[in-house]
Amino acid sequence: MEPNLGTIVRSISIGPNREETGLESLQFREEIHRLMTVPPENGSSFTELLQLPETQAMELLHSAHSDEVVPVPLSGEPLHGINDDHKSYLPSFNGNLTFPSNKVLIERAAKFSVFASGEHSPETSSVPSDSSANLEKVKSEPAETDSNPNSSQLLVSDPAVNIKNQRSEKRKEREKKGKGCTKKSKIEISQDAEKLPYVHVRARRGQATDSHSLAERARREKINARMKLLQELVPGCSKISGTALVLDEIINHVQSLQRQVELLSMRLATVNPRVDFNLDSLFAPESGSLADSNFHSMVSPLLWPEIPFNGNRQQHQQQWNFDALHRPLWGREEDNHTFITMENSLLNYESANSASLHSNQLKMEL
Amino acid sequence: MHHSVSCLSYTWSFSRSSDGPTEPRMRNPSLIKEEFLKRWIIALRRCTSLKKNMNILERNKVVKLSADLAMASARNGTTSWSRALIANATRDNDNRILAEQILGPESEILVKRVSTMPFKTCNRRKIRSKRILKRSCSSAIRRVRKTVPRKVLANCIAKRLIQKRTHILKSLVPGGEFMDETTLMEETLDYIAYLRVQVDVMRSCTYC
Repeated sequence: MEPNLGTIVRSISIGPNREETGLESLQFREEIHRLMTVPPENGSSFTELLQLPETQAMELLHSAHSDEVVPVPLSGEPLHGINDDHKSYLPSFNGNLTFPSNKVLIERAAKFSVFASGEHSPETSSVPSDSSANLEKVKSEPAETDSNPNSSQLLVSDPAVNIKNQRSEKRKEREKKGKGCTKKSKIEISQDAEKLPYVHVRARRGQATDSHSLAERARREKINARMKLLQELVPGCSKISGTALVLDEIINHVQSLQRQVELLSMRLATVNPRVDFNLDSLFAPESGSLADSNFHSMVSPLLWPEIPFNGNRQQHQQQWNFDALHRPLWGREEDNHTFITMENSLLNYESANSASLHSNQLKMEL
Repeated sequence: MHHSVSCLSYTWSFSRSSDGPTEPRMRNPSLIKEEFLKRWIIALRRCTSLKKNMNILERNKVVKLSADLAMASARNGTTSWSRALIANATRDNDNRILAEQILGPESEILVKRVSTMPFKTCNRRKIRSKRILKRSCSSAIRRVRKTVPRKVLANCIAKRLIQKRTHILKSLVPGGEFMDETTLMEETLDYIAYLRVQVDVMRSCTYC
């Protein structure tokens, strides 16, 4: 009954309960655009936060069929599907529809929408009548394509939003403690209120409505969200509770990393009489040490001319260098299988499939 | 180092905490590493073309500097720490020429972009005023502490701890002195990712 996320790419296929056609999906699309354009006018992060927990609340309300683990491919398509899924939640405020809610979907959708609304208002504010075009524009922003200029921005904002999401969800759950329905109704009301040009924010139970405290609360939540993300990143921090200790761990981690860098650079400097060491030292021992390295090292330089390597046309030797370097690091990684782009597949020597594929290609070309 | 490599996919493995497998997506670790390595090698080449025989200290400095600048230029001025790195590197005149050489042809654009970020001058004044305020506040707090109830006291102590640690973190992350807390967190994230990449790449270079 649950369509796999891979198939929930088109809005039509979302949700077994809905028999909507593309027309309704268009409707939903417009609704979500409306919703997405409103928050940037408000410009308050609290509304963004509200937008986030609403999806969470929706999930909780419907308590739909979660735990659908779906690997999302690299293309922009899943975002399309995610968008529709997100849209599908919003009308369900009125419609009481249940959807197969993948937690991943929801959170990504929330992230997507908040990201779209909060960070890149130019993109979202320009809502053309052609909703699909807008979708694609907005899609391409958080789209996980290999676009470096956006990358670090995404790096920064995506984790923030992700964690905001998580954090606000947790907070909502904590604060509920039996006040569930009232909370959710408040969220719904405030969500409806977002459609107005200015924000009517309903305060949570037991908290002040002062604008200062609201802003303070929003800021606090932001910081906590990022702290959560940092906790995930730094090993051994997830078990620790309390900001001070987590900060301690983070500081230790950063310091140790910096010390390692110092050590390694010192070592590099001592080992090599000339600093220009990489090519020779990386080639020679590499080809001897690894089992199938000879094979691959033969394969790779011949393959490079065939398949253009996108930023890297300068020197073939350098590209070879990457292979030799990356192999020992990622000998144990299985995640590389998700690479779809050609340049990435070339780096994928660990997986025997791709290696043999390349060799076959090579043989055919020869 | 497998853990560190997989941890680099933090932003996109959002499902990790909720359900399932990590999904390295766009900025997967291999791309970052590759980018870093490429730039680093270019930078090192440029350095060695300048001066053939360097003693060990110089090499050390060159290695570090080129690595820093390589990654910072990879960020292209989007993150604050990268800007701070470049700014620090180009500030002292003796390093400046070297740094500019390393950065190569696009160095001028980068330096201009970095210098136009108006964070330095106004923040120095801000920092000074903050320090004065802190000093006056701390003396006030010490006076109050005896008469304050326990809960509030504990809260105060916790806050002080956090403040101290934030301060330390600010000193660690390049350019962190001038940031507010939220940006500090983001910068730390990015910076940690960069440090990991650097360590991985350097380690594989030394052990080959």
